[in-house]
Amino acid sequence: MHSNGMARRILTVTAASATVALALSACASGGSTGDAATNRGPITIWYSNNETEIAWGKQMVEAWNAENPDEKVKAQEIPAGKSSEEVIGAAITAGNAPCLVFNTAPVAVPQFEKQGGLVDLSSFEDGAAYIEERSGDTAAQYQGADGKYFQMPWKSNPVMIFYNKDMFTAAGLDAENPQLATYDEFLATSRTLVESGAAPNAIYPAPTSQFFQSWFDFYPLYAAETGGTQLIEDGEATFNAEDGAKVAEFWKTLYAEGLAGKEQYQGDSFADGQAAMSIVGPWAVSVYKDAVNWGAVPVPTSEGTPVEETYTFSDAKNVGMFTACENQATAWDVLKFATSEEQDGQLLELTGQMPLRETLPTVYPEYFAANPAYEQFGDQASRMVEVPNVSSSVAAWQAFRDAYTKSVITGEGDIPDALDSAAEKINALIAKP
Amino acid sequence: MSRAQNILRGVVLTVGALVFLFPFYYMVIGSLQAEPDPTVAGAFPNPANLTLDNYGDINSRINLLQGLLNSGIFTGGVILCTVVFGVLVGYALAQLQWRGRGVTFALALLVQVVPFQLLMIPLYVMIARDYGLADNYVGMILPFAINSTAVIIFRQYFLQIPKELFDAARIDGAGELRILRRIALPLVRPALLTVVLLTFIGPWNEFLWPFLITKEASLQPLAVSLANYLSNVAATAANPFGAVLAGACVLAGPAVLLFILFQRHFVSNNIGSGVKG
Amino acid sequence: MSLSTQSRTVAGRSTTPPGGEPRRKRQLLGKNPFGLLLSAPYLIFVLAVFAYPLVFAFWMSFHDYFFAAPGVDVDRPFVGLDNFREVLADPAIIRSFGNVGIFLLINVPLTVVLSLVLATALNKAVRFRTFLRVAYYVPYVTASVAVVGVWIFLFSGNGLVNQILGPLAPDPAWLINENWAMPTIAIFVTWKGLGFFILLYLAALQNVSEELYEAASTDGAGKIRSFFSVTVPGVRPATVLVLLLSTVTGANLFTEPYLLTGGGGPNGASSSPVLMMYQRGIEQGSPDSAAAIGVILVIGVLILAFVQRKLAGGDES
Repeated sequence: MHSNGMARRILTVTAASATVALALSACASGGSTGDAATNRGPITIWYSNNETEIAWGKQMVEAWNAENPDEKVKAQEIPAGKSSEEVIGAAITAGNAPCLVFNTAPVAVPQFEKQGGLVDLSSFEDGAAYIEERSGDTAAQYQGADGKYFQMPWKSNPVMIFYNKDMFTAAGLDAENPQLATYDEFLATSRTLVESGAAPNAIYPAPTSQFFQSWFDFYPLYAAETGGTQLIEDGEATFNAEDGAKVAEFWKTLYAEGLAGKEQYQGDSFADGQAAMSIVGPWAVSVYKDAVNWGAVPVPTSEGTPVEETYTFSDAKNVGMFTACENQATAWDVLKFATSEEQDGQLLELTGQMPLRETLPTVYPEYFAANPAYEQFGDQASRMVEVPNVSSSVAAWQAFRDAYTKSVITGEGDIPDALDSAAEKINALIAKP
Repeated sequence: MSRAQNILRGVVLTVGALVFLFPFYYMVIGSLQAEPDPTVAGAFPNPANLTLDNYGDINSRINLLQGLLNSGIFTGGVILCTVVFGVLVGYALAQLQWRGRGVTFALALLVQVVPFQLLMIPLYVMIARDYGLADNYVGMILPFAINSTAVIIFRQYFLQIPKELFDAARIDGAGELRILRRIALPLVRPALLTVVLLTFIGPWNEFLWPFLITKEASLQPLAVSLANYLSNVAATAANPFGAVLAGACVLAGPAVLLFILFQRHFVSNNIGSGVKG
Repeated sequence: MSLSTQSRTVAGRSTTPPGGEPRRKRQLLGKNPFGLLLSAPYLIFVLAVFAYPLVFAFWMSFHDYFFAAPGVDVDRPFVGLDNFREVLADPAIIRSFGNVGIFLLINVPLTVVLSLVLATALNKAVRFRTFLRVAYYVPYVTASVAVVGVWIFLFSGNGLVNQILGPLAPDPAWLINENWAMPTIAIFVTWKGLGFFILLYLAALQNVSEELYEAASTDGAGKIRSFFSVTVPGVRPATVLVLLLSTVTGANLFTEPYLLTGGGGPNGASSSPVLMMYQRGIEQGSPDSAAAIGVILVIGVLILAFVQRKLAGGDES
């Protein structure tokens, strides 16, 4: 009696719901815009809610609104972290995404593109030309299929190795010229740091399994080791070759010898004095300047590479224009305004993050002269690798991370095998349309 | 009830309570510290290290009062709808015989069982686009309006009330409405309190939905503002860990207060005597 | 539905509307159609808010689907059971279901037993009653996000717990240990959720009449005896509820594995089906796979609930 009753009830529920659902979907509006590409008028934008970016955003909006009272910009904040992708994805589906989002992660762009949510910027008359003139060769990494630009490269945070000068001194190491260029040197330095008791951990990247964590341990070193190769190129995984294995083995050694922490750390391990080094971009300079006496060097490679030839990961955040926008002509103008030389300069001043503009140090010499701490980042910004612009990129990174946490952090299994099976999975994932 | 047993029970309970409270206590201590102290000794506060700066930090970054107000409106709306309509359904499910009774209970169960992540995007599309309730308190409250757990709890509670009470009233010729008002509702007070205390937490701590449905900072509940603050705090605060804990304490405060105020009403109701004689 | 013990005479005496065909109407809408009226707001709410997403999710699991902007032309072919096949062939997903099984095995019995024992004790305690009750309730009200930091610290490699345990501490520390990650999470969730269930039991205990206890002690039963012979049967409906709710919320475990082990834990040892749904559906943009996992999860939980009802003995429904 009970089982029949329950099943019957569930079926009734489903049937009733289906009827209602059909009725509701009939009410759903299709909604089509006029000629959005050439319309002008007020627009809405989103930017991230961290303090320095809010400061930049507010002054940019004010400056624009002062000169364009008929095309006012309204700005709202969204979280900077992973939940920003959820929010944007939901907004695309509901059709209420803003015109511009100054917080579009390159890894999410293929997905938003697939959803039909992004406007092709190269469809504007000066679209491709503007982007390429501003960003130079780096722009190529942000193109979608057919060379179209579904995102405007905006700013980057080239990842370098920060080190704690006081801890180095305490361990008896040279704090001004640390030995961190080759893997052997790096390992030796790390061992000295930990064994001398100067630091609980030599370096402490997040050991957790979210898909984006590999951007801050494996990927920067892989970019450096291969001189600028992306994780996936020409539709195939590249990391299951010798270079990838070397990078993975290096990290495995760090974990196996207890030089890098395996447990999740709440907070910033470098700022809290729990790690002697950290692998992060220039946004951290404003965080560390009061907490730690820091220095920075490029990421290591197996044999050592000159500073001016070392690549790294860009950790870029870009701007997307969304198809829900009704006044795209205005949006394009705002976008150009927000990435103009003046506004890029403001970005540099207020946030310390590197605009994705070619030859930064020559364009803003006064800034770098006044802030020598950022100089090496300005230079590093010309040699960066972005996440590959492929479909199912998030799934691909997750597959990679799963293999990485198992074989490198936990140290189980054989690294070439793990990389091979991850590559196989990834190749299958990105082959799907 | 020997004295020794009483004392033993008291001791065991207190030890348990301390174990339960310890992480929370640690949280409060952590929020009051100027420098994070990850050692064991940090559990016992060093007076020199205590400060209210972390709370000040939060207050300067997010508008605590506005957030509390929005949380209050959001949670209040949910509790109101849940209590008013939930009692009715619970009573109907437990003590009345009507067509569709089983379906309704199955629905309440189904809504509980299905994870929110599965429903999130279609729900958002429906409420924001089809119902046009984005940037709106109603849109925020809607998915949570009548808590199905509360319905199940009310039903359970009414099931425990002896049917004889109601039968006696019916035999005496009372109409259904009268029975509801005069007998069922007055009896439900302990369950009402329970439900208020239990359904308070859901909307109070809810982050993702209110954030999805409104981008206006002036409408966002405290949980959202705090979560945003949390995700950006490493960049600015002097003691990030402490600031996070301070935020959590602020969020938990009203809930604990509410409980302290209401829990004294959990007294025995002695319904049993209503049946005899 | 089992018939209630309503006496026949009562049925005959129910209010009959003037004129009309009272008997027919009664059979059509049940004995007390008033119940339908009372439940109407709730039903309307559920249908208006949840019907569409629920049915939609179910429908998605049978199609090749992804969310797209309105007005975009997308091919969404019916693919039958493909999503289910793909999901069940993925070892990570099978593992997540296994993990949630381990979780439930630890969490549910512990929750039921502890919450009843504690509620009984709290009910009788007189001194410091407020303090004690608040103490057990407080973990429930604090947002997981905040408490997690404290737990991670307590259970870390050189955290308080390991320091107390000394040589007995497991080698990779609790949360990064493949075998201990899920049980640690189970203990955390039990600790955190007990407040809820203690409240449920406290309310139920108010209805267990004092006279029953007096009768039992007159018969010579000691405390433990009367606990088992008076308290436990007296709150049986609440026990059924506690079993059901702890199973349902346990099966939908998401926040705690995500926060405590930052993702799926060591080699997915603490991933849960809802975590997988979140990864597939929201992070990776495959809501069709997520829906398939969701459907499997819901069916599993309903089966569990049904089995529990049989074993624990249902209430009158």
